[in-house]
Amino acid sequence: MRYIFNFPDIGEGLEEGTILEWYVKKGQEVKTGDNLVQMETDKVVADIPSPKDGTIVALFGEVGEVAIVGEPLVEIEIEGVHGEDAQEEAKKEYAPEPEEEDFEEEEAAAVVGTMETAGKGAVMAASDEGSEKEPEKEAKPERKALATPVARAMAKEMDIDINEVKGTGPSGRVTKADIENFKPAKKGKVKKHEIPTDEFTYEPLSQIRKTISRNMLNSKQSAAHMTVFEEVEISELINIRSRYKTSFADEDVKLTYLPFIVKAVVHALKHHRQINSQMDLENDRMIFNNRYNIGIAVDTAEGLVVPVIKDADQLSIKEIAQQITELADKANSRKLSMDDMKGGTFTITNYGSIGGIFATPVINYPQAGILGVGRIVKKPIIKDDAVVPGNVLALSLSVDHRIVDGGEASRFVNKIMEYLSDPIALIMD
Amino acid sequence: MVIVSEYNLPDIHLLNQQSNKFLLWIPDKQYIVLGASNKADDSVVESLVLRDNISVLKRRTGGQTVMLTPNNLIISAVITDKNVMKPKDLFNKFNNHIIAAIEKDHFVRFRTRGISDIALGEKKIMGSSMYRGKGMLFYHAVLNFDEPATTFQKYLKHPKNEPDYRKGRSHHEFVTSLKETGYTKSIFHLKNEINDSLEKMIPSCKIMDEAM
Repeated sequence: MRYIFNFPDIGEGLEEGTILEWYVKKGQEVKTGDNLVQMETDKVVADIPSPKDGTIVALFGEVGEVAIVGEPLVEIEIEGVHGEDAQEEAKKEYAPEPEEEDFEEEEAAAVVGTMETAGKGAVMAASDEGSEKEPEKEAKPERKALATPVARAMAKEMDIDINEVKGTGPSGRVTKADIENFKPAKKGKVKKHEIPTDEFTYEPLSQIRKTISRNMLNSKQSAAHMTVFEEVEISELINIRSRYKTSFADEDVKLTYLPFIVKAVVHALKHHRQINSQMDLENDRMIFNNRYNIGIAVDTAEGLVVPVIKDADQLSIKEIAQQITELADKANSRKLSMDDMKGGTFTITNYGSIGGIFATPVINYPQAGILGVGRIVKKPIIKDDAVVPGNVLALSLSVDHRIVDGGEASRFVNKIMEYLSDPIALIMD
Repeated sequence: MVIVSEYNLPDIHLLNQQSNKFLLWIPDKQYIVLGASNKADDSVVESLVLRDNISVLKRRTGGQTVMLTPNNLIISAVITDKNVMKPKDLFNKFNNHIIAAIEKDHFVRFRTRGISDIALGEKKIMGSSMYRGKGMLFYHAVLNFDEPATTFQKYLKHPKNEPDYRKGRSHHEFVTSLKETGYTKSIFHLKNEINDSLEKMIPSCKIMDEAM
């Protein structure tokens, strides 16, 4: 069985570490507890021991390279474990061990925190060579019925699953008569509910979830959240975007509304420096940011991450669009570095791309504000005393009320709205 | 060219210990100690280090290059318990005991900043790092008792990695000393206080003989 040993969190809660020295090489036999590699995080140098007996098949990374927590570090061939045994071995990784076993692992492994092992993927192999393939589940063929349009409509009307009806027409086509004659199979008089044997399923917290949890709680406990809601009509912006979308696409740049919003936010921040600041209570002072580094909350399969567009005031809309695409790609492929996520001075969260309208975003503490961008909704608006169709974008601005007064927050949103309703001003200003 | 020597300061002997031990010591002269992955070229101001004949050593623990001087108190410990806690928790535990020892005779409030620094507001007075091997953990901290930050500024380059709260500040702007914060007792008094505090933290801990 091939076993992939992932880089474990060595207990600092950091997401990456540097490879200082490999103690093993490809083809070398190792015993459980033998040191594999020396890793360095910000403050800790740690020897990482092998969790298994076996032969080293692959080392992921060179000395000096950065390894990401949870990503593969070493691949080990575990001898004498094949087929069902291999699957049993893999299952063991998730099964809680008795206390004594935990103790043994701690001693042998000398690594604390989340010891992520291959788990579900324990039988995965970097190559097919020597690996036991998990038996494929017997797939039940899915039957798609051929039917006349009338029969389909009738089946729908009568709440009959047409795929269960045996067709008597040409090539087994289901006809109107087949539907009329169909008698659903009896499935028993009493519908039986399946009750799970275990009341709960326990799963370890991922590193990213722990970080999100800590940051969210810290924000809610440290800042005085206050949210202002507004709506802005953005038909002009929609026109401009659709005018340039194709030419941007020719240059492989995806033009969404977000780059315009980033630009509008940066312009507005220049008029409201209080919102691009943070409070330093310990030294009785405010810290005003002279840079405009805009964090963009990105929804990934693993959880929320906030890469930062640095010095957004120095970038054109096209450059911002390029950076958003790059950062989103990196986020989704889990390739963001700490540098990509550091130094934000204000954050934008664009949940509208998923479907929400208004929200109360949680401030990315110690920043002073976060702008939530909702869905664009077509609805009636009043223009020149007439009711006309409009394209309305919902904005939700949360600020730290210790730093930003209500009036300041409203004026800041108004400024953003000015730019979004008249996007030419973004270039003129 | 700066010659980097193997680490040979008093706490090196802790690495061979079979049980929990700690050592509080004051360097006899100025040393520069590189972190496990630091390079002298990137870390020190070569011309001044050579001119002033300062010894440059490389330690086993992580973290960035530090300067040790007779105005620093060094706290070193080895923990050999089988169930040693997570490094971050252990950093916090050490810090809490060291802060408690300082605050016994001080009116200001210190706290942990970054991963393991002890700071007053935005200014750092102590940094620490660890090495974790099989069945043991080596802890090393440098508390700046009375060394002016200009000394660090003079010999050390800006580190490659820095905690968020440093925000690009120079050594001069970032580091302070305990004395500068208004601490009035002597370094020997503080050493005794920290000694008492650490003995409570690790009951089985033995103090090492500094003269070895």
